[in-house]
Amino acid sequence: MAAPRTRRTDHRSWMRLGVCCALVAGFSIPVPAADLASVTLKVQPKMVKVYGAGGLKGLESYQSGFLVSADGHILTVWSYVLDTDFITTILNDGRRFQAELVGADPRLEIAILKIDAEELDFFDRSQDVELDVSSRVLAFSNLYGVATGDEATSVLHGVVSAKTTLDARRGVFKTPYRGPAYVLDAITNNPGAAGGALTDHQGQLAGILGKELRNSQTNTWLNYSIPIAQLNPAIDDILAGKSRPRTVDETAMRPERPHTLSSLGLVMVPDVLAKTPPFIDAIRRESAAEKNGLRPDDLVLFVGDRLVPSCEALRNELGFIDQIDEIRLVVQRGDELLDITLPGLKNTNP
Amino acid sequence: MKKFIPLSPRALSLVLLLIPAALTWGQQPEPSLDNLEQQAFKHAVAVASPSIVRIETIGGLEKVGQLLLGDGPTSGVVVSADGYILSSAFNFVRQPTSILVTTPSGKRAAARIVARDHSRMLVLLKVNSQESFPVVPLAPREELQVGQWAIAIGRTLSPETANVSVGIISATNRIWGKAIQTDSKISPVNYGGALVDIEGRATGILVPLSPHGQSSELAGTEWYDSGIGFAIPISDLLPHLEKMKQGTDLYAGLLGLTLKGTDIYADPPEIAAVQPKSPAYEAGLQAGDRILEIAGSTVVRHAQLKHALGPHYAGDQITIVYRRGEDQTEVQATLTDKLEPYEHPFLGVLPMRDSEPVTVRFVYPGSPAQAGGIQPGDRITRINDEPAVSAEDLRVRIANLEIASEVTIEVLRSGAMHKLKITLGTFPSEIPASLPPSRESPPAGEATVTGKVEIKLPEEKNTCDAYLPENYRDTIPHGLLVWLHEPGTNEFDKLITAWKATCERDNLLLLGPRSANPDKWDPTEVDVVRAMIDEAIRSYNIDPARIVIQGRSAGGAIGYLTAFTHRDIIRGIIPIDVAVPRRTTLKPNDPVERLSIFSIIPAQSKIKPGIEARLKQLEQMKYPVHKVETANAEGRLDAAGQQQLARWIDSLDKI
Repeated sequence: MAAPRTRRTDHRSWMRLGVCCALVAGFSIPVPAADLASVTLKVQPKMVKVYGAGGLKGLESYQSGFLVSADGHILTVWSYVLDTDFITTILNDGRRFQAELVGADPRLEIAILKIDAEELDFFDRSQDVELDVSSRVLAFSNLYGVATGDEATSVLHGVVSAKTTLDARRGVFKTPYRGPAYVLDAITNNPGAAGGALTDHQGQLAGILGKELRNSQTNTWLNYSIPIAQLNPAIDDILAGKSRPRTVDETAMRPERPHTLSSLGLVMVPDVLAKTPPFIDAIRRESAAEKNGLRPDDLVLFVGDRLVPSCEALRNELGFIDQIDEIRLVVQRGDELLDITLPGLKNTNP
Repeated sequence: MKKFIPLSPRALSLVLLLIPAALTWGQQPEPSLDNLEQQAFKHAVAVASPSIVRIETIGGLEKVGQLLLGDGPTSGVVVSADGYILSSAFNFVRQPTSILVTTPSGKRAAARIVARDHSRMLVLLKVNSQESFPVVPLAPREELQVGQWAIAIGRTLSPETANVSVGIISATNRIWGKAIQTDSKISPVNYGGALVDIEGRATGILVPLSPHGQSSELAGTEWYDSGIGFAIPISDLLPHLEKMKQGTDLYAGLLGLTLKGTDIYADPPEIAAVQPKSPAYEAGLQAGDRILEIAGSTVVRHAQLKHALGPHYAGDQITIVYRRGEDQTEVQATLTDKLEPYEHPFLGVLPMRDSEPVTVRFVYPGSPAQAGGIQPGDRITRINDEPAVSAEDLRVRIANLEIASEVTIEVLRSGAMHKLKITLGTFPSEIPASLPPSRESPPAGEATVTGKVEIKLPEEKNTCDAYLPENYRDTIPHGLLVWLHEPGTNEFDKLITAWKATCERDNLLLLGPRSANPDKWDPTEVDVVRAMIDEAIRSYNIDPARIVIQGRSAGGAIGYLTAFTHRDIIRGIIPIDVAVPRRTTLKPNDPVERLSIFSIIPAQSKIKPGIEARLKQLEQMKYPVHKVETANAEGRLDAAGQQQLARWIDSLDKI
């Protein structure tokens, strides 16, 4: 798909020559690969191959990274590969360095390494680009560890398939990162690719390639990248020597006193299937559920904005809502969808 | 932010022509082809995506078969403003309790399945909403070209924006004419969404499809994100949309023909049998007719006929041009969704082997033949006033007639001709208690190597034993009993001991192909088993009417798979303690490619209910099924049981 493209580079006069030749040859536009090739040549010196722990039971001992400063700071993903005293990095030109772990943010699953080198090519994080759906992208990584020594990392092309939010709280995507992400229309997330760079077709940095991740909603592999803007504050903190949390406490998100089915006065149908649909079986007299118009045989569809496809999901979802907060429900009665709000408790004293 | 410039391909090409000018003068910021294409992608997505809706389902199954299903949102395509949505049947395979569609205003509304297209695996939904839905613009199918941009759009990853995969059209006419193929990434992330062209016009609905086993909603899902994806052209569906809105399901159109020959890419479409009461039968087609044209396409091979018929639905009227003798005739046929399962008509005789014309070996007690006065030793010379040259000829002629129809059979008895009127019946449920010899004279011809021999195919790792009885002569056609061992065992020598005497009496060979891995049969080895049988047919004189496969548990499962994959040569299967495997494509019973089942079930078998349920399915499809139970857990037959099995094999060539 590469084609004559003009940018303010040395190639421009060459391009002009090429197109003029084409015009002479009768309007057939040449399709030289020089354009993407030049972008690639510009990006590759910034890429780093990272080697560390692993190598057993299908866990690869390598991943990808890229330079974010001229004096050897490397951004990569936080993973078991870095769980060793001997992290080796190999630059694009084949130079090999022992790297030191400067810091990591396990919540964002990123880490910064430092090597003892200077005057390196690097991605300027202040020049990052934001992409939208259908934007063309390039993904640079050492997937499957196929590049070694002074071999350049592998380049994949594609488009941004979607912008979505990786939301770990309810187990759709099993990653601690919860922010926005680019889903890519390219098979980028393979072993070793994590930590690679996502750029636009001009080679401007857009994001870091994520770890392998399965989308439990569709049971397919997800190819994704985290926008660099989401990571910049954390990277700045790590570079400044500020500590970042090492772990994430999942349970901290749950309120101490959440709503429960019985506190609302709801009795659901017996939960016998793997995915029993959340039909209301009975409603306690004088309960919040009764007062606000819920009826037996209503099917609960949403709690807030979250779809609750099963009784279990409903119970789980209520566990995230504090008793003092109101609950917005959407229920299906016949073919109608009804909005019903159950108020929070006023007195929360035990 | 980049400025958004909507561009049609025409405008794009115009701009492309301007690029050299811009380059030459360098006054404006010059758009590159790369950027223009990117803008065109965005434009196409902007045009089409309002018509791609998000579908959520509640409740239903977690697993279908071995496949763990996701429970996330799926996609659908608006096909009429009052809220009709087309989607992939895959998205509803969980049989959800409730279906919700996000409306243009961002609300959710309940939806229900109005109709299904069982041929193309689509569903039509109706959303319970007063809102007006934006209908997707359509690209005519005939304009599609391989190599043009194809953008797959779904709405699963984010409620606000569509998810996009960019590729090209890889083929315009796949899965027997039903689908377009693309290399954009098609998966549960966009099943039910649309494949659109560079102008944002929909070319098809994204679905999982497989050229094999098309009858399942899950077929083809294993190809997700593989570079092979399919879309069903909406334009093919439009003529039927009103019918679907009325709640009518669509089915693949069936004709009811069996063609001669087995190589669909080589053999001409000459009719071997026409199923009674089928559209082909009603149109007046007969065995021996050669089809020249069907549904507007000229056909010279089986595959072309399948391709021409593939896109048609039940209820479609098609034109058929055929040649009978010197005459060429054009007829109309109205395709049907369901053929009555074919049941073999039965005259009630066993032929003497190698007798021409057919000499009657045995008359079944209580059969039409007995009622009509046929006697053992009669020579059947004519059927319905035409000569019957051989047993095979007579069998096919009977197979083309209807049960309960009357046939005229002429027999030669003690030098006198008798014309008998016989009303055809159905296959007997009982196996005869005893059978007379199948030939008059004892085996003649040269003695050859007999006993246990090894068969080896140079291209296969598998080994194979064969056993030839002491009286084997290559002048006499022999039945072939193929034994597929249970993984981890080798019982061929025991088999020889048990069958030796029967092999000599009934002219039977034994064949024992072994799995490449002694502890496991692989489903792909059905073709190796076939190759071994072919090798036996090349090496020995084999009677095509009596090739049967026997096997216990996993061996029996491979037996079922082999038999249903290679219907053209296998005539019987003897499964021991095993049900028809789920992955077997159960083809309808066939007039010419007969397949009978002799199922042996240990009384104590834990899977007995499963075996019987699947046998019942075969019985409903009118396959001849015989069941026996054994007291022992291994499914071993006693002496009387084995003799009964021998007679079952010996009578597979019944007419």
